[in-house]
Amino acid sequence: MADHTRHPASYKDPSGFILPASGKFYRQVNKIYASHYDLLTRSGLSSFLQEKKLLLPHEEVTENILHSDDWYLTLLPEQVPFTSYPYEWCFEQLKDAALLTLEIVKFSIEKGMILKDATPYNVQFLNGKPVFIDTLSFEKYDPSLPWIAYRQFCESFLFPLLLSHYHKTSIQPYQNSYPNGIPVNITAKHLPWKSRLNPGVWLHVFLQNKLSKKPNHTGLTTSFSKNKLFNLISHLDGIIRHLNNTDKTEWSNYYSESISSQEYLGKKEEIINNLLQKLDGRKLLDLGANEGFFSRLAAAKNFDVVAIDKDDQCINTLYKKVKEENITNILPLCMDLMNPSPASGFANNERTSFGERIHTDAVMALALVHHLAIGYNLPFSKIAEYLYGFSHQLIIEFVPKEDEKVQLLLRNKKDIYSEYTREHFENVFRQKFTITEKVQVPASDRILYLMKRLN
Amino acid sequence: MHIYLLYIDPGSGSYLVQVIIAAVLGVAVYFKNIRMKIKSFFSRKNKDEIPPKDS
Repeated sequence: MADHTRHPASYKDPSGFILPASGKFYRQVNKIYASHYDLLTRSGLSSFLQEKKLLLPHEEVTENILHSDDWYLTLLPEQVPFTSYPYEWCFEQLKDAALLTLEIVKFSIEKGMILKDATPYNVQFLNGKPVFIDTLSFEKYDPSLPWIAYRQFCESFLFPLLLSHYHKTSIQPYQNSYPNGIPVNITAKHLPWKSRLNPGVWLHVFLQNKLSKKPNHTGLTTSFSKNKLFNLISHLDGIIRHLNNTDKTEWSNYYSESISSQEYLGKKEEIINNLLQKLDGRKLLDLGANEGFFSRLAAAKNFDVVAIDKDDQCINTLYKKVKEENITNILPLCMDLMNPSPASGFANNERTSFGERIHTDAVMALALVHHLAIGYNLPFSKIAEYLYGFSHQLIIEFVPKEDEKVQLLLRNKKDIYSEYTREHFENVFRQKFTITEKVQVPASDRILYLMKRLN
Repeated sequence: MHIYLLYIDPGSGSYLVQVIIAAVLGVAVYFKNIRMKIKSFFSRKNKDEIPPKDS
């Protein structure tokens, strides 16, 4: 295994690093972190957090994979099937990741440790729930000091949540613009005036903004205590628990508002169930998942589903359902297919693009093509080519021009879509796929296809 | 961005605000406790004055 190197995103912390080797992710613990790591284990904090499913479980491996001089220990964590990034999470996911981080800080201070950083990149979603993945973030707690990661916590959790809460807007634009957190002065400028009336917001945003303009108060570390820190963490927890960005959007009642919805949905459900049975493999990517009605259908059939929609409210709803119903095999994510997550971070290789990360056995694209073709003028050939890149099986729906939803899209647009026909759709997709099944959904003119990739 | 912000340790800038917030929260908790004590004192007193009926 000697030709492996550390993960390109794993350079910030001298305590250790992530190490991809033999198809798995390992974590090397360096000698410099030895005393903290031993305390994490000895204090019982590690096993406690793992039992409560707050910290990703790991095994200790005694192999020095890179033969490095700094090596103390190698950890083999439970593998996360799909790595998602905070700019792909909905509001509720970021909120839960924030609450998880605070909960871990509370438990840690009880055991004499604390988190030295507080970034959402230390959290992943596994089995429908957030879990803390960075075992090397814990350090020995000094009760005389405030929390070293407080500012980072505010910038990367509290501020985007507050902005989204007060404006009732999607959280993605904030997360995409500030992948490492929103500076306090920007947050203070963008929050509405009425937010100042909330004492919590005033303290954590406006007071912090005022004080941050004063240079150098590093000497001021007097008289902090465990009790004070506990109050501070509880206060943050209380503020975040009350935040939401619920707002009715054009997509959130897509199915409930449709007149013929019940009959149509029932029939569609039957057909999809039948098509799902014909797929090989267990991994399914649901593109344009809306509130995940069909993702849940697939999950009930034991598929591991990554459900994507650009609408933050739809994904919020799906995520809440996943939580309530304890569904472990759906990962809901917010992403716009017209602008999927790019490779980003230093040298463009800290965080990989969505296309590079996703590995799936099948793609399901229901009621999606008309949005891409008519909403965004994408030619069928481009859509076929994009879907061809994901996997060898495709369940896809064609919604004809006469459909009320397509008419809605065309209402304020010049109809330049003479090629938007079922025949043309089939001809173009046949250049990349074989159509193995074709079913018309009763009570509509919509057609569902099962396609296999041509090799 | 002010130039000095680029050179200070990311954590240090937030110490002062935490000290102040913790102090504010300490006062809030102190008064909350007093209020709770007064409340529980009176509710206990009320219970003492009106003993529960046996019959």
